[in-house]
Order: sequence, then C-alpha cells, then structure tokens
Amino acid sequence: MTMINDTLDVAREAPKSRSFSKPFWDATREKKLLLQYDPVVGKFQFFPRATSIYTGRRNLEWRESAGVGAIHSFTIARRARPPFQGKEPFFIAVITLDEGVNVMGNMVDCALDEMKIGLRVKPYWSPLPDGTHLLMFTPQR
Amino acid sequence: MALRDNAIVGFAETRIVEKSDRDVWELGAEILETLLDRTGFEKGEIDGLILSSSMTGAGNCFWSQATADQLALEVDFCQTVDIGGCSPVGAVARACAAIDAGLCTTVLCLFADTQSAETNQRLRHFQAEWTLPLGLMGPPAAFGFISNRYEHQFGLDYSMLGKLAVAQRNHALLNDNACEKLRKPITIDDYLKSRMIADPVRLLDSVMVCDGASGIIVTSRKNAARKGLNKIVTPIGYGERTTYRASEAIVDVTETGHMVAGQRAFAQAGLSPSDIASFHPYDDFIIAILLQMEMLGFCKHGQGCNFIRERSFAIDGDLPLNTGGGQISAGQCGLAGGGTNLIEAVRQLFGEGGARQVANTRNALVTGIGGIPYARNWNSSVVMILTPEG
Repeated sequence: MTMINDTLDVAREAPKSRSFSKPFWDATREKKLLLQYDPVVGKFQFFPRATSIYTGRRNLEWRESAGVGAIHSFTIARRARPPFQGKEPFFIAVITLDEGVNVMGNMVDCALDEMKIGLRVKPYWSPLPDGTHLLMFTPQR
Repeated sequence: MALRDNAIVGFAETRIVEKSDRDVWELGAEILETLLDRTGFEKGEIDGLILSSSMTGAGNCFWSQATADQLALEVDFCQTVDIGGCSPVGAVARACAAIDAGLCTTVLCLFADTQSAETNQRLRHFQAEWTLPLGLMGPPAAFGFISNRYEHQFGLDYSMLGKLAVAQRNHALLNDNACEKLRKPITIDDYLKSRMIADPVRLLDSVMVCDGASGIIVTSRKNAARKGLNKIVTPIGYGERTTYRASEAIVDVTETGHMVAGQRAFAQAGLSPSDIASFHPYDDFIIAILLQMEMLGFCKHGQGCNFIRERSFAIDGDLPLNTGGGQISAGQCGLAGGGTNLIEAVRQLFGEGGARQVANTRNALVTGIGGIPYARNWNSSVVMILTPEG
C-alpha cells in the first residue's frame, strides 16, 4: 500500500499576511479558524479577501468556525519543491466546511484507502515558526 | 464594423524547443521577418503590436514597449494581453477591436516566451499565503482536484483520456515544429502506465514547458483586399469569460467559462458544434479537452467519455483534434503556448497543413485557458471560430 506522508515535519516558513487577511493569521495563534462573513447575504467566503465576493462591498465580519466539513476533492502530490521535496507522496485536499466554503489543506493521519470524497474531517493545527498555525485536516473518527 | 470585418493575413511559428539558446527577442524577430515575407507588408505598415503573456517578459512591466523598441516597430497601439494561456486568442479579438475602433490598421500579434530557458515570473497572488504552505506545485494538483471531482460526479474512463493523448501524439509526429523529445509514438497503455504526477494526473496528461514563438498579422479585410491578399482567415465568433462564477463560494469545477464563451462565439458565428470542421482546444492537461468538449456543447455535461469513445480525432476523423499535436505533444511555449493551437487552426484554413492537412476547411474552432485559481476551475476561458472566407 502506498504510504502517504502527513508533511508535519516539513520546515515551513510562516506566510506573510496581507492587510485584510491578518485577523485570520492572528487567530491561528490560538488555533482558532476565522472566516469572513457577509451579513447582508448571510454567507461565508474563503480565502480572505478585501471585499465581499457577493456584493463588492466591504462590510465583512469575522466569525469563528469549528473547521469541520467533508472532502470535496483531493490529489496526491508525487513531486514537490523544497522544503516538501523528499516528503512525497502527500495529500492536498479541498474541504467543504459546514459553513459552505472550500478550504485547501494537507491531511494528517489519513491512510490512502480511507481518503474519499465525502470523508468527514476536522481541523489539525500545525505550528509555524512565528507562533501562528497552519490549518490542516484529519479524519473525524 | 465587426469582428468579421477583419482578417488574419499571415501566420508564422518557430520550432518548439527545450531551453532555447536563442533570446526571446530573436524568436520575435524570426516571426516578424517571416510574416513580412509571407504577407508582403513593409515593416512601416505595421501600426499595432499586441503581445501575449510571457514568463520571460514578466520581468519587465514595459514588455510591449520594450519589444516594440527591440523590433523597431513604430506603432499607434501597443499592449500586452495578460490573461495567460488565453492571451494569444484574446490578442486576435483585441486586434480586431482596435482596428474597428480606428486606433490602427495592421496589427502584429506576437506570442513569444522562453519560459524553460528564462523565467522572470514573480507572481503577486494568493499562492504564497494559501497554497505554497501546502506544498502545492500548481497546475497538476489543480487538475488532480478537477479529475477526482469529475470522476466522483460522472465516472471517468481514463482510457478515453488516453485516446485523446494518442490522437494528439500521432499529429505531433507529422509536425516538424513540435519538440523533438515528444515526437515518439505512444499507445493508450503507455498513457495509462505513465507515472502519476498529482493523482490521477499522469505524466502523459501534462504539458512540458518549452520555448518558442508564433504570430499573425491582423488587418481589416478592406486593407487585405487593397494589398491583394486573398488568402485570409476571418474570425466570425468570439467569447471570453474571466473568473466564471466569481460571486459564489463553491463552484462545480467540472463546469467552466467556456460554456458562456462558447455560446457567445457560436451565436455570433451562426454555427453549432456539429458544424465545426476541426477543433483546436487549449490543452495544458488532457482532461481540459474533455471538459471543453462538454462546455462547448459537442456533447452533454458528463458525457465526454461516451463522446470520445464514439468519435475519431485523427486528421481524417470525424473531428480532427489539435492537428499539430497540441501543446501536450508539441511542447508548451510558456504563456505563449495558446499560440500553438491558434496557429495550427489558421494553418489548416490556409490549406498549408501538408501531411496533416484536414479535408474540411470550412471553419476551425480554437480556445484558450488561462490561470489557476484557488479550489476553482480556471481563471479565463476564450473561444474563437475562424473561417477561410470573408
């Protein structure tokens, strides 16, 4: 059976946030997932943007999400650049959170034969060097 | 004034190579000289320059000006089209619009990129923040998501993708400009057994980044007639859509902007998919061809594999497909790669296909795909229908 790595030992740098995405990254210090919410249409969006994708207006709120959802699609990376080189193969998944947004993440503790579209997942926070965390996912068992 | 009042009066293409030892502007000069020779235009008659996107050119935010200067073109209209793989076909539409608007009369559309030898891209994008920390290498992973999702929704017979790969490879064998490394026959079994890059995307699903250039001259049909140029290709339908379904948080990645772009192009042309004589879809990954067949209405959404099973895509088949091998079997000239599909369509309608000439030259359909967004399909979709008549 193909072994799938979890990429937890990859030496990642913390990504540089933008003026409008900083609240997201700040919240990850406490392993909290914040999503942008447009109160006019009552819908969430991801990734964070400077504007509502629904209305083009900026009246967005940040709301905390449990980060729970289901696999929407996935791929197995067989080739990668440093610092991921040598850690292949690993999953990159698209997860539909229960709030109705798609988020991408690596998978932790997920075997190849367990992975399928529809699999329920929950967040797994991987520490980054600056004290923030990277959102990954693990099967909800 | 309309799209169809304008004409492509000449085409040119360099050989496609890995790691070109010739500079991107030398490739551009070859295209310019070939076009002047073939059309009889003097350099001074070219009064518009439109460039495609270029990874080599991405290091210079004055790219179209700098190229006009290098080629010593004095022009009244000068721009780069920056919608990635859609930019060559998009350039034709913009050339027609500029001519119609009276901004210029004769436009050199130049598609030149030496990405494998010299890439200068420094993208300001979502990737650094949202996908590079996941180890995502870009297009193959994105097409891995699309393929798995397609399989989940409709089922996917990979041997049918293999059939498309083999058809295109057979065509590259007849194309002297195709990258030499790729000019070896393959079978469906070779396709199925080729190594995974980003499951279920295989090596033989994927383009290889190469270097090369192509180009065309667009002028008004009136001007073409005045110059005695009677071998012309006319765009009769065009559609373009960027950021399809941008206002939705979750989109069906098996549905693309080619649906709306195609509807517009077919309506303008007064044609339907069954009228199309040869099909030259942008091909960065094999499944993109299947998706475009569905979106353009050659078959119903989700029925692509059945459609492929029942058709022949050979030069003498029901629907000749990327008759020069497409980008997957001829090599992808970076962001100028869409020029490969476009030039082949024009070549066929000029009747200059040689060993790979199709019999039916009533029309050709060419498309573009540009840009990979976050957990969506692709950023830009273009569709153009060409005819050899006025």
